[in-house]
Amino acid sequence: MGGTQKKKFERGSATNYITRNRARKKLQLSLPDFRRLCILKGIYPHEPKHKKKVNKGSTAPRTFYLLKDIRFLLHEPIVAKFREYKIFVRKLRKAYGKTEWSAVERLKENKPTYKLDHIIKERYPSFIDALRDIDDALCMCFLFSTFARTGKCHVQTIQLCRRLTVEWMNYVIASRSLRKVFVSIKGMYYQAEVMGQLITWLVPYQFSHDHPTDVDYRVMATFTELYTTLLGFVNFRLYHSLNLVYPPKLDIKAESELKGENEDEYAMDSESYPEKLAALSASLARVVSTAEEDDAQLDAFPTEEEDLEKVEAREKEQMQLETQKKIFEGLKFFLNREVPRESLAFVIRSFGGEVSWDRSVCIGSTYEATDETITHQIVDRPNVDKSYINRYYIQPQWVYDCVNAKVLLPVEDYFVGVTLPPHLSPFVEEKDGDYVPPEKLKIMALQRGEKPAQEQEDDDDDEEEENDDDDDDEEDEEENEDDEDEAEEKNLKEMEKQKSQGKSLQVKVTPGKMKMENPVRLEQEEKAEEKRLAIMMMKKKEKYLYDKIMFGKKRKIREANKLAAKRKAFDDTEKAKKKKTKN
Amino acid sequence: NSSSITFNKTLLKHAAVSQPGFLGLKSNVKSSELVSSRRKRVNKNKKKNWNRHSDIHDVEDFLEDIRHQERTTGGLLSEKPDDSLFFLDVEAEPVKAEKGKRRVQRPLRIDLILQHDSMVPAPKNVTAYQQPNAKKLRRIAQRAEQLAAKGVLPRRQRHLLSRRPAEKTVKKAEANNNPDRDFYAMWGEEKVTDSADPWYLQQTGKKLVQRPEKLNQKPSVLPAVEVIAPGGSYNPDFLSHQALLQEAHDVEVQKQKQEDKLQRQLAFRKEDRATEVQTIISAVAACLYEDEDEAAAPNEDEADSALGAIAVAEKKTERQRKKEKAEKMKTQQQQASRRQTERQQQLFQLRSIKSSIKQQELQTKARQMKRKARQEAQKALPRRLGKLKYAQDLEVQLSDELAASLRQLKPEGSVLKDRFKSLQKRNLIEPRERAKFKRRLKVKYVEKRAFRQIT
Repeated sequence: MGGTQKKKFERGSATNYITRNRARKKLQLSLPDFRRLCILKGIYPHEPKHKKKVNKGSTAPRTFYLLKDIRFLLHEPIVAKFREYKIFVRKLRKAYGKTEWSAVERLKENKPTYKLDHIIKERYPSFIDALRDIDDALCMCFLFSTFARTGKCHVQTIQLCRRLTVEWMNYVIASRSLRKVFVSIKGMYYQAEVMGQLITWLVPYQFSHDHPTDVDYRVMATFTELYTTLLGFVNFRLYHSLNLVYPPKLDIKAESELKGENEDEYAMDSESYPEKLAALSASLARVVSTAEEDDAQLDAFPTEEEDLEKVEAREKEQMQLETQKKIFEGLKFFLNREVPRESLAFVIRSFGGEVSWDRSVCIGSTYEATDETITHQIVDRPNVDKSYINRYYIQPQWVYDCVNAKVLLPVEDYFVGVTLPPHLSPFVEEKDGDYVPPEKLKIMALQRGEKPAQEQEDDDDDEEEENDDDDDDEEDEEENEDDEDEAEEKNLKEMEKQKSQGKSLQVKVTPGKMKMENPVRLEQEEKAEEKRLAIMMMKKKEKYLYDKIMFGKKRKIREANKLAAKRKAFDDTEKAKKKKTKN
Repeated sequence: NSSSITFNKTLLKHAAVSQPGFLGLKSNVKSSELVSSRRKRVNKNKKKNWNRHSDIHDVEDFLEDIRHQERTTGGLLSEKPDDSLFFLDVEAEPVKAEKGKRRVQRPLRIDLILQHDSMVPAPKNVTAYQQPNAKKLRRIAQRAEQLAAKGVLPRRQRHLLSRRPAEKTVKKAEANNNPDRDFYAMWGEEKVTDSADPWYLQQTGKKLVQRPEKLNQKPSVLPAVEVIAPGGSYNPDFLSHQALLQEAHDVEVQKQKQEDKLQRQLAFRKEDRATEVQTIISAVAACLYEDEDEAAAPNEDEADSALGAIAVAEKKTERQRKKEKAEKMKTQQQQASRRQTERQQQLFQLRSIKSSIKQQELQTKARQMKRKARQEAQKALPRRLGKLKYAQDLEVQLSDELAASLRQLKPEGSVLKDRFKSLQKRNLIEPRERAKFKRRLKVKYVEKRAFRQIT
C-alpha cells in the first residue's frame, strides 16, 4: 500500500488526444490557418472511443486530434510561411492605412508564397498512391473550372483548374481509357481505367451553379489548392507514359487543320491555343512521332491447366475491351448547338470517333454540317429543318448508352422525337437473382451478339406481352427445378404453347445435325447426379444451412419476379395511355 | 574690370558736370555752400578723422543727383537729345471721360506702388553664370572627343564592357495557383541520397521529418466518389426511380417523426391544464371531506411513531439464542444435502447440460458475429467529430420534374455541396455550421428629417 496517489487524466487515452483549440495554440496559428494546414498535410480529426476520459470528465462535444499528429505538424516548413503571410497582411494593411502606395507596391511584389510539392511527395510516396487518390482531385478541379470568375475564389485558381482538367481529358482521349458514363440529375459521372486503377469523377453541368451558402469556400479552396498540385504532377507523369509532350501541344497536322480564318473573333491570340486544346477535337503531339500504337499482346505464360480457363477468360475480356475502345471508329459525328458539346466531344473522341460542330459554337470545329461523310448528327430538339439522307439524326443519349453497353445500339430507339429508353446506370452490378430491368436484358442480349427481335415486337404487342408472361412462368419453374437441361424443355414448351394458341411459328427448315454433344451432356448429367447425391449425404446441420441458402436465393428470385411484374403493369398502363392519346 | 569701368564712368560724369552745359537737377544747391568758408584744423594722421572731417557733401550730392537722373530718366539729362525732352503740344485738351469708365481704366494704387519705377536695369549676377573648373572640363571634353574619334574607349567604359554579364535576377517565387506553373517528374527514380551528413541535415532542419505510416490510412472506407443511385439518372428506369423516391420518402418520414416527437414533448400537458370550474368545485368539496377525516387521523399516527421511537430492542434469552442457532444449523444442513443430491442428479442430466452449454456457446458466437458486423458497418458511418452530427440530404427529382430530354434537364442539387458533404462523410473535416453574424452594438433607428417632411 501507499505510494503517490494517481492523478486523473494523466495517462491513457487522455494523453493521446488533444483538442482542436489546444492544438491550434500549440502551433501558434489562427483557426483558418490551422484548418488549412491540417487539410494540406492530411491530418484529420479523430473520434476517441471514450470521450469522457479524453475530455477530462466533461461530455461536451469537441473535436479531437491525435497528439502525435500535431507534434508531426510542428515540423512543417509551411507553418513558418503561414506566419510570414500573416505579417505580410498586417504590413500591407498598415501601408494602405497610411496611403503609402509605394510601400504597398513593394510589399505586393514580395508577397510570401509557398509550394506544396514536398507535401505531395510526402503524402504520395509512389505514383500509384497518387493515382488512387485522384478521384477527389478530379472532381474538385472539374467543379472549380466551371465556376464563374466572379471572386468566389481566385481567378487564377479557376484558370489552373481549367488547364488541368483539359489536360486530363486530353490524356483520357489519347489513352482511350474511358469506360463508363452516367448522366444523372446531379452531374455527369465518368469512369476511366488508368494504369489498372478505376477512376471515377463527377462533372457538373455547365452554367448550373447557384452557390450554396452552407458550404465553406475556404475549406474547398484549400482542398483544391492541394489537388491542383497533385493533378498537375499526375498529368505530367501520365503524359510521359504515353510519350506525349507535356504542356500538351496539338499535333502539327491537326494544328494546320484548325487554322480558322475567324480565329481572332473567337479568342485573343494568347487564349486561342488553350481554347483549341480545350475543344478536344484534335490529337496531341508526341515526343517521338510513332505510328498507331502497336497492339500490346498479353504475355503468354506457360500455365497450369486449372489456370487455363482463367487465362482464356482474361483474353476474352481483353478482346472485348479492345472492341469497346473502338466502337466509334470510322463514325463521323456532328453536334448541333443545343447538345452539351464538351461532354459529347470528350466521349466520342475517347472511343475513336470524329467530331465537329458549328463554327460559331466553339473554336476547333473541323468540318461543316454540310459534309456528306457525316454518319451521325446529334440533335436534341423535336424536329430538324434540313436533313440529309445519308446520316442518322439521333439524340445525345445514344452516345452515352452505346458507351455503357460497349456495342453500337440500334439507332431506331434514339431517333429525333422518339421517346427514349431509360438511361440506365452503368455503375450498378447485378448479382444473379437480382431484378434486371428489361432494357438491360436487351442490351445484354445485344452484347452476346443476338439479334434483337425488334420488328417482331412491333408487329404485335400482344404477342410480346404473352411472351413476357411465359418468361415469368419459366422463372417460376426455375425455382422449383434444378435441372441442368431445362433450356431445351423450355423451348419445347414455348413451341407447344404457341401451337396451342394457334399462332404461326417461326418455321425454319434447318439441315439435320449429328448429335455431337453427347459426351458433354453425359458429363453434365453425371455432375447433376453427383450433386443430388451430395445433398442427400449432407449432415443435418449442413443440410439446414444449405436449405437456408437456397431459400434465400429463391426469395431473391421471387422478389425480382415481383418487380418485373410491377414493371410490366406500369408498361401496360403507359401503353394504354399512349393508345388513348393516339386515338 | 567692371569696377574700373564704373569708376571711369563717374569720372566722365564728373567731367561733364564741370562743363558749363551741365544741367543740375537740384538747382538750389549753391556753389558757395559746396566749399566751406572756414577751415577746421584737425589732425589728419588718423583715418577716423579723415572720415569725420573731410567734407564730401558736394561729391555725394552730385552722385545722388546723377543716380536720381539715371533712375528717373534712364540717363543724364544733358546727354539726351532735345527731341526726347521737349515736344510741341498741338493736341486739344482731351475730353474728360465718364467717371465710371475711368475708374475701370485706372490701375490699382497698390499695383502702382509695387511697380518697378527705376529706369536703371538691375545689375547682372555674374557669379550665377560662372562654372567652376570650366577650363579644365572643356579641355577634358575636347580630349575625350579626340579619343572617341580615334576609337579609343575610356577606361571606365572598357571595364564595364569587360565585366562578366551579371547572373540572371533571382526568379521570383511564383504563387501556387499560377495557371502557367510548370510541373516536373516527381516520381522518377529516386535520387542518390545527399552526400551531406544526415545528422547535420537533421539538426539544421534541412531534412523533412518522416511522415508516420499511420497517417496514410484513410479515415473512412467509403469511396471518394459515390455514384448516385440508378434512380438518379436524368431519364431513369421506372422502378429504380421509384426506389429512390421511396428512400427519400423514408428519410423525410423519419425527420417528420422526430419533429413530431419533439413537439409532443414540448407540448403543454393535459394534466397541467387549468381545471374547469365544475371539477374545481368537486375537488374542493372532496378536500373538505378529506380534511375532516384527516383531522382525527394524525393524532393516532403521532402516538404510534412516538411509541416506536421509545421502544428499545429487548434482550434475547439464552434459550432463544440456542434455538435460533439450532435452526440455522438445520437449514444449512438441509441445503447442503439438497445440493449434494442435485449434484448427483446432474450425472444423469449430462446430456441436457452439454446441450445447454453448446447453446450458450452458440449464442456468444452469434453475438460476437453480430458485434463484428456492427463494427464493420460503423466503419462506413461518419464519426462524430464536433458539435454537429453529419446530416445527409438526398437529391431527387419527382416524376413530374423529370426532363423530357437532355436539353431540358434541370440539374438537381449542387455538386459543390455534394463534394463538401462527401468530405464530411469520409471524416476528412468535421461538420460545421456557418458562423452567425453577431451584432455587437444595438442598431438605433432614427427617422431623418427629410423623410419626416414627406410623410
